[in-house]
This record gives sequence, C-alpha cells and structure tokens, in this order.
Amino acid sequence: MIQRKQLLLLSVLIVVSPVFGVWLAEALNYAEPLDHVAEALNLTEWEGLSWTPLKEYSIPGLPDWLGYIISGFIGLAAIVALGYVLKLYVSK
Amino acid sequence: MHIPDGFLDPYTIVVTYVLMVVFASIAFKKVRRLDERGVGLVTTLAAFIFVAQMIAWPIPGGTSLHMVGGALVGVLLGPWVGVVVMFIVLLVQCLVFHDGGITALGANVFNMGVVAVFSGYLTYRAFMQVLNKVGMGVGTARFVSGFIAGLVSLGLAGTVCGIELGVSGEVLSRVGYSLAVSVPVMAGWHFALGVVEGLITGSVISYLGSKNALRIVAEVRS
Repeated sequence: MIQRKQLLLLSVLIVVSPVFGVWLAEALNYAEPLDHVAEALNLTEWEGLSWTPLKEYSIPGLPDWLGYIISGFIGLAAIVALGYVLKLYVSK
Repeated sequence: MHIPDGFLDPYTIVVTYVLMVVFASIAFKKVRRLDERGVGLVTTLAAFIFVAQMIAWPIPGGTSLHMVGGALVGVLLGPWVGVVVMFIVLLVQCLVFHDGGITALGANVFNMGVVAVFSGYLTYRAFMQVLNKVGMGVGTARFVSGFIAGLVSLGLAGTVCGIELGVSGEVLSRVGYSLAVSVPVMAGWHFALGVVEGLITGSVISYLGSKNALRIVAEVRS
C-alpha cells in the first residue's frame, strides 16, 4: 500500500513533529488565524463534546511530545486501514 | 483551518454537510475506476498530508500555519480523487483526534477538501497552458503553476472559511459586523500564508514531474 521508503520518511516526520506541534507551540504560544477571528466574534468552542481520548493528538498519562508522536503513528495506521477499505470498495 | 464544534451556526452546519455529502458521493463513485496502484497513491498521499498537517510552522506575530495540501493532491491525482484523499485525512483527524469538530466536519471537508482541491487543480491547469504557450520550460512552468495553485487554493479555502465564520458570528453572537471582520482576516492571512503552501506545492510537483514518478493528472488533456 505504502512503500517502505515512504514509510521511513513518514516515520521520521512524525518523530520530529513535536518540535513544531508541541515545543514551539508552547514556547511561542501561537494560534491559527481562525482562533483570532473566533475571539473577535465571541465564538466559543464546545468543551463538553468529546468522543476520543486522543483529543488534539495527546494521550492521557503520557508527556505531550510522546503522545504527539504516538498519535502520529495511530493516525498513519488509521489512514492505511482506510486505504484497505477503499481497496475493497473499488475491487467490488 | 480546522473549525471546532461551537463555532458554526445550525444553518451553516446543515448547508456544509449537504455540500460534503454531494461532493463526497460523486467523488467516491468516480474512484471506483481506480486500479490497485491508484488506491496506493490515494493512501500514500493521504498519509503524507496527515503528517504534514501535524507540523505547524510559527509565523511572527503569534500565528501559525500548516500545509493543507489540497492543491497538491488535486493537481497530482485530479480533483475528484483529491476530494477522496482530503476526506480520508479530515475524517481521521476529526474522529480519532477531535481535530475539527463533528458539527464542522462538513465545513472542513468543503473548505480544505473541495474548495482547496478544485481551485488548486483549475489554477494549475490554467497557468500551465499559458506558460506552455509563452515557451517556458516545463520544469519551471510546473513550479510556477504549482506555486500559484497552492497560494490560490489556501487563500480561497481561508476566504470561504471566513464567510462561514462570519455568517455564524451574525447568527450565534448577534455581532452585526462579523463578515467584515472574519473575511478580511481569514482571506488576508491565508493568501499571505499561501506563499509557503505554494512553495511546497510547486517544489513537490516539479520534483515528481522531473523524476517521472507519476502521471500528473492536471497536465492530461481533457
């Protein structure tokens, strides 16, 4: 489904991703333009609505950086699984 | 650009869900023609877009950006297959990681999976035709067209997102000037940040094109 070389590159990117998604985000406290607009328009997120323990790429009980990495691999696995579902769908 | 739960009003939620269902239904019908290699490309590109979106780059002024990838998949695989790639990514982000709300899934798929993909694809095709006519080398033309496609796709997706937030601001918060705030901010930031999206899109397309790694669907005559 995904070639070995590509999986290796994806794995490297996932391992370095906490540098940007966790450490720099905490150090610089940055937000997306969408968050700035929501604040200006008084739009607030529904905090009570939750269906996954992996919210925002974190894993309960683990440091943020490790949860981010493991979440990356879980997401990768989920996409590969959906790829196999798609393969079944097109072969029917 | 992932809208969370609570930001959209009920009317916008319904309209964007309908749009998502319509576009996704057509797209999934069209991908039935894919062979095994095509499914492999869909999965590989979905995996790369998912990981690329985890890498948020800080921008001076307290803002961040991450690649969306709509133009890239639209150009490489065609707009309908591109919709499927982005749908897979956004579905996993929403259901597994709560990145983007369940009530906003329709809007997020429409913005990043339809607007970004189709605008990127059409912009690339248009610029490739023009640049070919003026005699630009194919490698440079691919980079320039990919750059503009990435920039336009992110800018337009951000603009549409701004319209949705503005309408919701008017309905939910009764803020009468919502659209006047949301559209300029979202459009301005995303067209500016689109420079990075464009550089990545142009670079990847020209690299893959130079290696003959795959047939670039946006360059195939229709």
